[in-house]
Amino acid sequence: MKDILNIVFRLTVSCLMAAMVMGAAFILTDKAKKHNEHAREERTMYSLLGYGEGKPVPSTLALHQIYRYVITEPGRQLIGYLVPTTHAGKTGYTLVSLDLEGKMADRKAVALDVEQSREKEDRDKAILAVIGPGKEIRFADHTIVVTDNGKRVAYLLGGKFPGFKTFINVMLALDQQFTTLGLEVLENEEDPGLGAEIEKDYFKNQFKGRAVDVLKGLQVVKEPLPDQYRQALEGRLAGADVSRIMEQFKDKNIYALTGATISSRMLTDGLKGMVGKFVYRLDILDHVLNEQKIAVSF
Amino acid sequence: MKILKIPLSAVFLALLLLPAWLQAADFIESAAFSGKNGIAVAFAVPVDKTAAGEVSRYTVYEENDPDIKLSLASAALGSDGRSLQLLFAEPLNSAKTHVVRVQGLGDGAELNFKVAKPYFGHLFSILVAALLINNFVFTKYLGLCVFFGTSKRKKTAKGMGVVFTIVMVASASMSWLFYQFTLIPFHLDFLQIVVFIGLVSLTVQAVDTILRKVNPVLFNSFGVYLVLVIANCVIIAVPLIMSSLNYNFLETFMLALGAGGGFLLALYLMSSVRERLELAKIPPTFKGLPIAFIVAGQFALAFLGFSGLQLF
Amino acid sequence: MTTSSNTKTPWELLSRGILSENPIFRLALSMCPAVGISTTVMNGLMLGVAVLLVQVFSSVTISLFKNQIHPRIRIPTYTLTIATWVTVIDLVMAAYLPGAYAKMGIFIKLIVAFAIITMRLEMFACKENAADSFWDGVGMGLGFMVGMVVIGFVRELLGSGAILGYDVLGFKPLLFFILPSAGFFVVGLMMAFFNWVELVYKRRKGIQS
Repeated sequence: MKDILNIVFRLTVSCLMAAMVMGAAFILTDKAKKHNEHAREERTMYSLLGYGEGKPVPSTLALHQIYRYVITEPGRQLIGYLVPTTHAGKTGYTLVSLDLEGKMADRKAVALDVEQSREKEDRDKAILAVIGPGKEIRFADHTIVVTDNGKRVAYLLGGKFPGFKTFINVMLALDQQFTTLGLEVLENEEDPGLGAEIEKDYFKNQFKGRAVDVLKGLQVVKEPLPDQYRQALEGRLAGADVSRIMEQFKDKNIYALTGATISSRMLTDGLKGMVGKFVYRLDILDHVLNEQKIAVSF
Repeated sequence: MKILKIPLSAVFLALLLLPAWLQAADFIESAAFSGKNGIAVAFAVPVDKTAAGEVSRYTVYEENDPDIKLSLASAALGSDGRSLQLLFAEPLNSAKTHVVRVQGLGDGAELNFKVAKPYFGHLFSILVAALLINNFVFTKYLGLCVFFGTSKRKKTAKGMGVVFTIVMVASASMSWLFYQFTLIPFHLDFLQIVVFIGLVSLTVQAVDTILRKVNPVLFNSFGVYLVLVIANCVIIAVPLIMSSLNYNFLETFMLALGAGGGFLLALYLMSSVRERLELAKIPPTFKGLPIAFIVAGQFALAFLGFSGLQLF
Repeated sequence: MTTSSNTKTPWELLSRGILSENPIFRLALSMCPAVGISTTVMNGLMLGVAVLLVQVFSSVTISLFKNQIHPRIRIPTYTLTIATWVTVIDLVMAAYLPGAYAKMGIFIKLIVAFAIITMRLEMFACKENAADSFWDGVGMGLGFMVGMVVIGFVRELLGSGAILGYDVLGFKPLLFFILPSAGFFVVGLMMAFFNWVELVYKRRKGIQS
């Protein structure tokens, strides 16, 4: 009996010590993790917009986050947009709820600051506190509006859609006319050497500079990528040549990856869906914001 | 084994009946995707033909995007007045649940029903994925140490495979319970590695003790493999996958079953080949593990062919 | 193992881990990552470093507490120690090296199931002092890393014509080598190679003596 007590005691002590070590490691690394994640995201976003080592980010550039939620109340559903608003120089957040026909249903100020708004939990809690009991919310997606000196210059969309294997997570940059500026594949689980080539420049960059109408009708063709086009996509030619070749190909269809036609198609279809829905929704949101004269920061 | 058969069959029966239980309205007998851009609906009683043909009566959208209405091209009622075929302008994404609202058909009220792939199909596809498409040994390269150690004879292979499946299912279920009800509510996510491996050890210990007492004969033939289960990477990979994809209980069960079954399949295939290899002429430097690795490589190539398999 | 470890110098401990008792090629343990992750040298290096750290920390921890561990709960204690260190390394990597961490995927967490670490603790750390355990851990870890880097080197060179991401050959010889199934082939061939080296060595020694 004494032996068993001894064993249990020692086991408990070891477990507690282990838990303390892990807990300490967790607390120490959590902050760094969040900070690094945020820094990486920002770097990806700026590189999509064309800024980077050679072209520094101007101080007049600002990023505004819009979070879209689906709010379910008994009897109806609403789409809620958490938008940043400016009141007397200070930035706050407002939840603008639209019904399914695109008319404004409600508008409430939400108690959040910029740091908190990045954390899903804080956001959800603040929204629930404002809309009242008996309702459910579900986070849908988030868009970033990029302004330079207050004028809209670009949009950044995040999207996740099925690929050949599981999911493909992307970030797409559009300019004010919704022409694509760049595409970044954030996560995918496709086969290395086959589907995972969607991350490579010679495939991703085919989506650059596509007007929104061209994008909507984009198809994937199983033809070999022309050599010159490939060189331009990978940035191996001089700047002027690259622009000329991209101009030549900007209305053409996407050349599929060798041995990964389905991955290419799923990515293209996913992007089409993302952009189509975004343009439709932004239009409705802008109408409501203008009508109701909501002082958004973008 | 027999003890396990009854609850297993009950679970399967429940799964089969699930789609039937999930049907919302009594008026709609069934609704399913048909073709690339269609939905086929079957009504319990005949409905008015002209009313059913009016496209404006229908509102269809994906459950997650209620503000984006899909454009219906045509609605055609079959000759028996009960089967409706809805055709859409663009292909439907059948992986998502769609909601269909109909105004004023039948008894005048608004009809509201969902169209989705059968849940049973979804669960079954997880099983097949873990078994073939993402076979843990040949596609994910886990559990190799144990794999190469126990694949020399068909008998050892079968024993190891069966024991592994049982421990896998048991420990995966317990891991799910622990994860959902203890780790998540208390934000102790980072403890998952310790907790999962602890549960595995506990399960192995429990199965060991139970088997010893209940069926000593069985224990003598299978018991020796229990110790090896802990050294198997797959046993901890399954709970980790479950936690990263946030599966529910049934999905975890299917994943565990598929993982165990896949391991058994891999072991059986490998042992069949290795038994033959013993009679073949192999250069001395290749004897033993090297040739086994090369055979495994060939199997892995073959299993690559299952990529992208979609049954449901 | 017949070695009497009291008189082992650090160098001997190290070389044992890298050459004569190399975990991947000689002991044939912990092969899962060798096959699955060794598509590039960088991957091999990262995982090798992670395993090295876990091995060293666990060896030293167990050897510091070896007198307090009750013999009947040896294995659970080893498992607990390894799991704790794996969690710590996992958290640190996720925070400071997110790019590499994303490529590793689940394999960092799977280090907890590596038989080689437990075996080392059982055979060595629970009997020796902390300094010797440290060097033994480093040796084993280095052996693993060397194995992973070598496999990664072969696969990356022949698969994508690059090393550490730098294009060396300018073309891709055989895409096959990046496909995970090639891991099996490469490891099998390398094992055969090590066997051959040993055979030749023994034959030479046999002729001489």
